[in-house]
Amino acid sequence: MGTKASRKNFYMEIRKSPGRFLSIFFIVALGVAFFSGIRSSEPSMRITGDAYFDGANLMDIQVMSTLGITEDDIDAIEKVDGVELAEGSYSSDFLCNTEDKQYVFHVMSLTDEVNEVSVSEGRLPEKTGECLMDADMGYEVGDKIVLTSGTEDPLEDTLKTDTYTVVGLGSSPCYVSIERGSTTIGSGSVSAFMMVPEETFALDVYTEAYVKVEGASDLTAYTDEYDSLVSGVMARIEEITGERGEIRKNEILEDAQEEIDEGRKELEEGRAEADQELADALAQITDGENQLADAKAQLESGRQQLEAGKEKLISSQNEIDSAKSQYESGLSQWKAGQAEYESGLAEYNASKPAAEEEIRQGEGKLQASRQELDKNWEEYQSFLDYIAQMDTTVSDAEQKVQELTAELSRYEEDSEAYKECAAKLEKAKTKLAELQGTRDTAKSQAEGMLEGLNAGETAYRAGVQELEAAKKQLSDGAAQLEAAKSTLDATRAQLDSAWNQIQSGQKQIDDGWAEINAQEKNLESGEAQIAENEAKLADARKEYESGKAEAEQELADGEQELLDAEEQLADVEDPEWYIYDRSNLVEYDGYGENADRMRAIGRVFPVLFFLVAALISLTSMTRMVEEQRIEIGTMKALGYDRFAIAAKYLGYALLATVGGSIVGVLIGEKILPFIIIYAYGILYQHISEILVPYAWSYAIQASAAALACTMLATLFACYKELGEQPASLMRPPAPKIGKRVFLEHVTFIWKRLSFTWKSTVRNLMRYKKRFFMTIFGIGGCMALMVVGFGLRDSIYEIADIQYEEIQTYDGSAYLQENVTEEDRENLDTFMKEDSDIERYMDAYMMNVTLEHGSDEHDAYLTILADPDKSEEYFSFHDRISKEEYRLSDHGAIISEKTAKLLNAEVGDTIRLKDEENGSHELTIEHICENYMGHYIYMTPSYYEEVTGAEPEYNCILFQTDESFSKEEMEEAGEKIVARDEVLSVSYMHDIEKQLDDMLGSLNLVIVVLIVSAGMLAFVVLYNLNTINITERQRELATLKVLGFYDREVAEYVYRENILLTLIGALVGVGLGKVLHLFIIETVEVDAAMFGRIINLPSYIYSLAFTVAFSLIVNGVMFFKLRKIDMVESLKSIE
Amino acid sequence: MDGFVTLRNVKKIYQMGEVQIMAAAGIDFEIQRGEFAVVVGPSGAGKTTVLNILGGMDTATEGEVLVDGEDIAKFSQKQLTAYRRDDIGFVFQFYNLVPNLTALENVELALQICKDPMDAQTVMEEVGLGDRVANFPAQLSGGEQQRVSIARALAKNPKLLLCDEPTGALDYNTGKSILKLLQDTCREKGMTVILITHNSAIAPMADRVIHIKNGKVEKIIENEHPVPVETIEW
Repeated sequence: MGTKASRKNFYMEIRKSPGRFLSIFFIVALGVAFFSGIRSSEPSMRITGDAYFDGANLMDIQVMSTLGITEDDIDAIEKVDGVELAEGSYSSDFLCNTEDKQYVFHVMSLTDEVNEVSVSEGRLPEKTGECLMDADMGYEVGDKIVLTSGTEDPLEDTLKTDTYTVVGLGSSPCYVSIERGSTTIGSGSVSAFMMVPEETFALDVYTEAYVKVEGASDLTAYTDEYDSLVSGVMARIEEITGERGEIRKNEILEDAQEEIDEGRKELEEGRAEADQELADALAQITDGENQLADAKAQLESGRQQLEAGKEKLISSQNEIDSAKSQYESGLSQWKAGQAEYESGLAEYNASKPAAEEEIRQGEGKLQASRQELDKNWEEYQSFLDYIAQMDTTVSDAEQKVQELTAELSRYEEDSEAYKECAAKLEKAKTKLAELQGTRDTAKSQAEGMLEGLNAGETAYRAGVQELEAAKKQLSDGAAQLEAAKSTLDATRAQLDSAWNQIQSGQKQIDDGWAEINAQEKNLESGEAQIAENEAKLADARKEYESGKAEAEQELADGEQELLDAEEQLADVEDPEWYIYDRSNLVEYDGYGENADRMRAIGRVFPVLFFLVAALISLTSMTRMVEEQRIEIGTMKALGYDRFAIAAKYLGYALLATVGGSIVGVLIGEKILPFIIIYAYGILYQHISEILVPYAWSYAIQASAAALACTMLATLFACYKELGEQPASLMRPPAPKIGKRVFLEHVTFIWKRLSFTWKSTVRNLMRYKKRFFMTIFGIGGCMALMVVGFGLRDSIYEIADIQYEEIQTYDGSAYLQENVTEEDRENLDTFMKEDSDIERYMDAYMMNVTLEHGSDEHDAYLTILADPDKSEEYFSFHDRISKEEYRLSDHGAIISEKTAKLLNAEVGDTIRLKDEENGSHELTIEHICENYMGHYIYMTPSYYEEVTGAEPEYNCILFQTDESFSKEEMEEAGEKIVARDEVLSVSYMHDIEKQLDDMLGSLNLVIVVLIVSAGMLAFVVLYNLNTINITERQRELATLKVLGFYDREVAEYVYRENILLTLIGALVGVGLGKVLHLFIIETVEVDAAMFGRIINLPSYIYSLAFTVAFSLIVNGVMFFKLRKIDMVESLKSIE
Repeated sequence: MDGFVTLRNVKKIYQMGEVQIMAAAGIDFEIQRGEFAVVVGPSGAGKTTVLNILGGMDTATEGEVLVDGEDIAKFSQKQLTAYRRDDIGFVFQFYNLVPNLTALENVELALQICKDPMDAQTVMEEVGLGDRVANFPAQLSGGEQQRVSIARALAKNPKLLLCDEPTGALDYNTGKSILKLLQDTCREKGMTVILITHNSAIAPMADRVIHIKNGKVEKIIENEHPVPVETIEW
């Protein structure tokens, strides 16, 4: 494209024909998107998985040992080259019984640095009794879980407690899918895991060690680099196991020896102790006997004392009696005294009133004389007062005299005053003399009065004395009486105290008697006691004898045990170390296998897609070059060289392809892996983050392939044209020579064909490239759809076929482990009488491991108690020939997939692995159709022949009434499970549903396939039709000129299209079938066999879709046909 | 009286963006039944346009096109298709045979859709290809292919045979023989034939010669005595 003009021409070409450009662009985009998208799903799955594992610090290596792993072992592992860290952990399986089901839980201890649990609800357990429960199990935070041991060893050997509270729910990277692995207890399969703190375990040594490999997290899981890094470290760990095993063994031996020694010591101690105890017991017995003898002697002396007491009591009674009679005489004396006193008292009382009257009279007289005396005294007194007054008056008068005398002295004699005064003095002196006279008379009167008074006083005193004497007489009498009275009273008191003494004496005697009686009773009970104790002693002696015998036995046993232990010690084997990589984790490999399966799908589907895309580009480009024949000729004629001319077309293709590739890679590598991983997410719920990085290698592969295809196609198309001379290029191409087709030689058909059909057939044959392309395109998309629908069939059908055609019973009831014969019979009767149960059969079902050569696989060993009736529960038949098989005593029937995985065929001998008793060999008699799970069926007698043991039937297969609905069936089942003998009941329809859920994840993948196929079909048909029409525009215009109606012209084209579509569809059916088989075989999981058959409706749907796409495209074409301009297309030859 | 074919003021205008191109600027002529008419004119004069309109492959923008009394200018697409199918035989410059049908089958292709067809084999014999019926177009020479083309047109028993430069891609002698075949057909079967050519030399063989120039009829010449083709040389 050297020149400006040619560049312009190039761009104009694209603008002029956007349809062609876009069709190449889109078909390349589609092809590249599908190719790189599906292919990069595989690495994206690995990367997604790896990110999840690294995020949760999933261990790389798991180390286990038959003798457990010690701290030292872990240190030793950590020192191994390439080990980043090692951490010990505990785990063990336990049973959990709920109302109607028994589950097995895998209990693990929490680890710090590896296998991080992600908590979805609640928190991590922190102390014993708490646990984190598997989020898929349906428990809720706060629920209680009670575990029981599934083995003979008690749970307490391993765990500190059996009751746990769920404190959190979560998931562990050890379980990527919903599978939880198998176990040796219970139903054989683990239902859920449980995380507990490390200290919950009561074990001395770790059960396993988790190892992280240095640099492993930088590598992607499931890749060879990762595997080789890990296996190198595993090999190095393996190297130290011998040494570690030796150490561990010695440790155990030492411990055991120590224990034995200790045991021996204990035994000796026990022996001594027992001897001591026995001696003590004997001593006690003798002691008891002595005590008894003492007691007897005591009893005797007691009896004697009692007798003495009795005698004493009798003498005391006599004394009391004499005291009583003494008292009686005293009492009568006192009574006489009393009478005397009373008569004295009466006398006194009689004389007393008269005396008293006399006294009173005397008193009255005395009173009166007294009063008189007192009056006289008063008179005297007042007279005295008068005298005193007189004295005063006298003294006053003397005073006055003196005064007047004095006064007179002062006055001149004879003076008037003097005279007057002297008169006065004189008067006063007279008066004084008068007064002195009166007073002296009065004084003598007073002395007379005093004398009279003193005489009266003396008389009165004599009267008083007389009266006092009388009074004294009276009171003396009373005092005498009083004295007599008090003497009597004293006597009385004496008597009374004597009486009291007598009474108390009597009481003492009575008490004495009572005591004696009590003592007698005591003595009697003492005697009884002694008798009893004697019996007891006899027993004790007997006991002692037996105890002695027992102790001797025990000691002997202990001795034996010690000897056994010593013997066992000699038998201790070297510990076996097991070193696993992550593939030992449940379903870890499954995820990788799913990625591999995606790769398998990625190998087939996109290639097909891509081929179609390449073919489309080839036709488009060829067509383009052919169309521009004249232009090429002109350019050549103008002197452009070949490359310059080809560059236009190459550039055109390049641009469309590169553009399409980029768009395809960008979209396809993001969307397709996302959808696919999302779909698988249903299986791997806990892988939360989907990583879809661009896988550049696939992008480059796809783009390079697309580029190569289109460029080669363009070159190829150009090459032909460029080789010709310019002149011939300017002329119309030599028309293709019409050829007779093979069918024309089959004249009887050819003749019958209408003219238009003949033309159609010839047309088809003429454009061979277009013919094959269309067939391939339509066939391809038909095949893709057939595969898509077929996958659905294969996957969805299996549940139906498995549980409706192969295992036809409704459910199975698992028995308790410890059922007795009696329980069994009871249950048998119950089942017989239960009207809901149409029929039932005992069976033995156990998960076993089968081996054939180096192949090994688990299967359910199923032994039917009554093989003759097996067809009522199972249908054993060949998948293809449908030939029915019967169980016989000559061999086992094995399920198809199991046989395939074991690489075994009919007549081969396989081994039934039995770790305890060695493997048993058995012969495969038939291989039967089976889709879900792995089974090996045997008759009881063949089982016995193979293993030498009789089967212990552990479950009952039952069939309810045919007309029962699901609910009724479950009701019948509930009745069975309600019985004590039954552990759990499982229904086939439950499994069916579970299965459907699980397989639903593939649905989305299938939808992707169908949609992609549809898109492909559409693009292919549209392209081919467009090319077809433009190529034949002239021919079609001619038809129009000839007067063909639009419909007839369309029919002329459609006839070919319909024929091509049908042929393509037919090819698609074949191709689809082959592809389907291939994909089914690669997609299949180990646990199941998918159906190999595609159902008719799937073909019909695919065909319908293909035809529908074809119709839509043809519908669009109709308008294109109508637009063909007769005039323009006939004007000249292009 | 109107002719068998009458064009009155037929205009065909192509709108090419802003520019109007008038391919036919009002053409008027009449052709009687059974006539051999030749339309001549230089390239781009509008003669093909006229033929296309007459053949029902194109519609007139304006004017009347009466064929056997019917104005096909007013026909719908469907009526036009029916008209092409039943009334018109078309012979192309480049034959336009369907390459993967034998000569006979190419004739049959036309026959199977029309009401009153002739026998294909007979027609093939009439055009002188009775022994080449089983050959594919690619196995035939140009003249032979054009004969097949004419046979295909004739077999429909059309009212009107339209020929667009039927000799344009043929050498002189072959062209002559084709023209002879057409003239003979006209004379013997009373078929109305309209032939377009830029070669005015062949005009003497026609009953009527219509000269077209710049989208208009320049002149119409009626030959009282048309000459046989053999006598014409150019």
